Amino acid sequence: MHPLLENAKRTVDQAEMYWNQSHSIVVRYENYRLQQVTENDVSEASLRVIQNGKIGSAYAVFPNQEGFLDNAVTGAQYGDPVSYSFAGKADYPKLDNYSEATAQLKSSDLIEVCESIKTKLQKQLPDVALGIGASCERSELTIQTTQGANATSKSTGASFYFGAPFKGAGVGVFKSRSGIAPQVADGALLDEFVTWYNWGNQSSTPSTGRLPVILAPEAAFLMMMPLLAGVSGEAAWKKTSPLTQRLGEKILSDKLTIYENPLLAGNTDARAFDDEGVPCAKRAIVERGILKEFLFDQRVGAAMSTPSTGNGFKRTMFGSGNETSISPWFCCPTIEPGDTSWHDIVKGIKEGLLITNGMGFHSGNFPQGQFAVQAVGFHIINGAVVGRLDKTMISGNIYQDCLDVAAVSRDVGLCSGFLPLGTAPYVLIDSLQVAGK
Amino acid sequence: MKSTFANIVSSLPADYADLRFEENRKIRIGYEGKELTEVATTLTSGGHVRVYAHGGKAISSFSDPGKAGPIADATCTSAILVGNSRDKKLRVASAPVITEDFLITPVRDPRTVSLKEKLDLTAHYNDIILQNPHVITTQTMYDEFTSRRIFVNSDGSIIEYELINVGVFGMIVTKKGSVVQRVRFAFGGNTDFSPLLGREEDVRKQITKAVELLDAEPAKAGIFPVVLDPSESGVFIHEAFGHLSEADGLQNNPSFRAKLQLGITLGKPILNVTDDATLPGLPGSYEIDDEGVRGMRTPLITRGVLSGRMHSRETAAEFGEPLSGNMRAVDVQCTPIVRMSNILIEAGDSTFDDMVRSIDNGYYLVGAKGGQTSGDQFTFGAQWGYRIVNGQLGNMVRDINMSGELFSTLQATSMIGDDVRFGERGGCGKGGGGPMQMNRKSGKGSPHIKIDAVTIGGI
Repeated sequence: MHPLLENAKRTVDQAEMYWNQSHSIVVRYENYRLQQVTENDVSEASLRVIQNGKIGSAYAVFPNQEGFLDNAVTGAQYGDPVSYSFAGKADYPKLDNYSEATAQLKSSDLIEVCESIKTKLQKQLPDVALGIGASCERSELTIQTTQGANATSKSTGASFYFGAPFKGAGVGVFKSRSGIAPQVADGALLDEFVTWYNWGNQSSTPSTGRLPVILAPEAAFLMMMPLLAGVSGEAAWKKTSPLTQRLGEKILSDKLTIYENPLLAGNTDARAFDDEGVPCAKRAIVERGILKEFLFDQRVGAAMSTPSTGNGFKRTMFGSGNETSISPWFCCPTIEPGDTSWHDIVKGIKEGLLITNGMGFHSGNFPQGQFAVQAVGFHIINGAVVGRLDKTMISGNIYQDCLDVAAVSRDVGLCSGFLPLGTAPYVLIDSLQVAGK
Repeated sequence: MKSTFANIVSSLPADYADLRFEENRKIRIGYEGKELTEVATTLTSGGHVRVYAHGGKAISSFSDPGKAGPIADATCTSAILVGNSRDKKLRVASAPVITEDFLITPVRDPRTVSLKEKLDLTAHYNDIILQNPHVITTQTMYDEFTSRRIFVNSDGSIIEYELINVGVFGMIVTKKGSVVQRVRFAFGGNTDFSPLLGREEDVRKQITKAVELLDAEPAKAGIFPVVLDPSESGVFIHEAFGHLSEADGLQNNPSFRAKLQLGITLGKPILNVTDDATLPGLPGSYEIDDEGVRGMRTPLITRGVLSGRMHSRETAAEFGEPLSGNMRAVDVQCTPIVRMSNILIEAGDSTFDDMVRSIDNGYYLVGAKGGQTSGDQFTFGAQWGYRIVNGQLGNMVRDINMSGELFSTLQATSMIGDDVRFGERGGCGKGGGGPMQMNRKSGKGSPHIKIDAVTIGGI
């Protein structure tokens, strides 16, 4: 047991320590030029205590930082009564999320990754303002409680991205990869980037009305973030979720099966335990359109008389990390792939949209399933892309519009946007409201 | 500690180097419904070093001040690596050497207020909201951030300065049948604790709107003329124009850099836009930025013409334009990036009634609800709105997001009111090539404005 917990044990009834030490390197290119190298060496800790049945929290740089325990104890003097205990001893699932090769990466190795992307793309797209970045991180997370939990994880992550705005436009194409092991850009990804970039040379605005819409993996958050808000045990508890009392009912198309899979192999966000030291497990959230489960942390689970699902994470829509309060969140959301090629889905559309991003999502009433965003992506006519979307918004409600899904691709990609890293296929929604010409 | 850090940066074989060391304290008290979810104190400290060498740049953050020397050396080595690979060298504009402290003395210093008083105040506002029968839950937060920072650079500047930001904000959630609506409230947002007191009527006004929204109609999709209230137009000018005036976003974007040459006409002569860190008592007011440059007033659009830009020392050198003192970092893990201080649309001479009367079929949109921008494309939401039919305000509408393109929308800004108001609570998220930095200290002000055409996403 960490000395801080030993000390806390003498002062309070229960204590929980979260301590993360990380070392990261990031290299960034702008306009095909190396712009900056960043290297961070950071330690951060949080402490929760329960004293006389009340909870208090404190955050600091090191567990031994002066005032750390005192601040948590002071918080507990005023805190609300809690009806749960901190996590106890548990067996955690085995998860291999450490690569020694990644841990040994240096800035010169990351520069090499960026140079290989630069060399290939500069030949084909010499005049675009290409940004490239590569990063690596090694971290060690420890969660210990006076109740016996002792969770530790040594993990690594490596990633790269590249992208450029369309000439004269505010939006563009971005591609990325990440994993536990060192990452190298493969030719197929670079070719896809070039194809998409060239699709955007022309702009196109669809007519106002209802049109079929393909959500690319990069835009899966438009459906998944409202779903996350809906399946949060907290929203069910507070009765703000539109899914309250709907367990076992059809909420989405039967073509959609969605897992929360914290044990997703090779994923940099994969976790064997959550930020409360509770073991994580793969769970079906939506199975063939039927709502199967809500997500709980310990606080909300206790309020709903159900155990934590191992989904207590220090995450919010706009960030994550030590100072973030714990609440029920996805760790690695995954949408099960279908059996169609996404290229064939595009070919089958008379007029529709391929969406790669949606701007302004957070301004909408997404906890109720709604979204209204500026559409970023491509306009499809007669099975072919005719240009990048311009002056176009799409809006809808996932619990109405995603009941009718026409196709799910077999190809999957990493989710991005507001979501933690998971995987998603291309999903063709029968129709969404489009505001265009 | 100041002299140790000063010796570290001045001894590097660098073109320029600086180091910022911070000791930060945050207090967060949170209610969700009846539940007090958090009474938490955060103490963080650490440093951030930036080195320009051989025309390259490298940065590092660290937690342990004892490691500052070796980390600065390693950062310098990385900067040389970057510089040796660059044909176009990075450099910083010269800036005045400052050896002065900038400490804050608020009217009522939140650091001297007891935790108990802060907790009682938060509970008081939360209780007022919970008394309404349509309210199903709340989020009521007390948020206090205080930072003591040391800044040293290789030019010889040695500065100690403080930042304070304190506020109460939250969300009122109402429900009727299957309709759930959310309305925000916020007050405070600067260095003083006093404005947090006696705000019951402001909270009740927002509760009324959250209840009225339960019977509002969803907005219709399409292109419409709109009148924006000051909080909406403040977000509009921040998102649509302000971010494109931050030079670090333009630095490596040749097409927008060409489009945004100083002297080009962006709007009608009625349009004047300014960034001003010197206005007292606003969220984005400060004496000194995180690059050791004084905060100042920078005219951005003057009579419709692009007249200035927000800069770092690096971008000021590259663009050959004056320093503006806009480099800020939210904490030690972040490098400073170019941020708006208090951006505002200056007052015009139209009245709100004139604007409404001029519209046959459109919307009056009220209450900032956040936004997003990418290049010249922007999107932002409204908390509620009203139809405008034949020059008259009509039914209330809900679930409103709108989008547009900067250049055409500035040209379509056809009327500017005489009633400038600033939002009390600041806020802005920006990555700037690194992790997202959520900046409390970013103010937005504007009068009512009329825009002839924006795209509204709705049913």
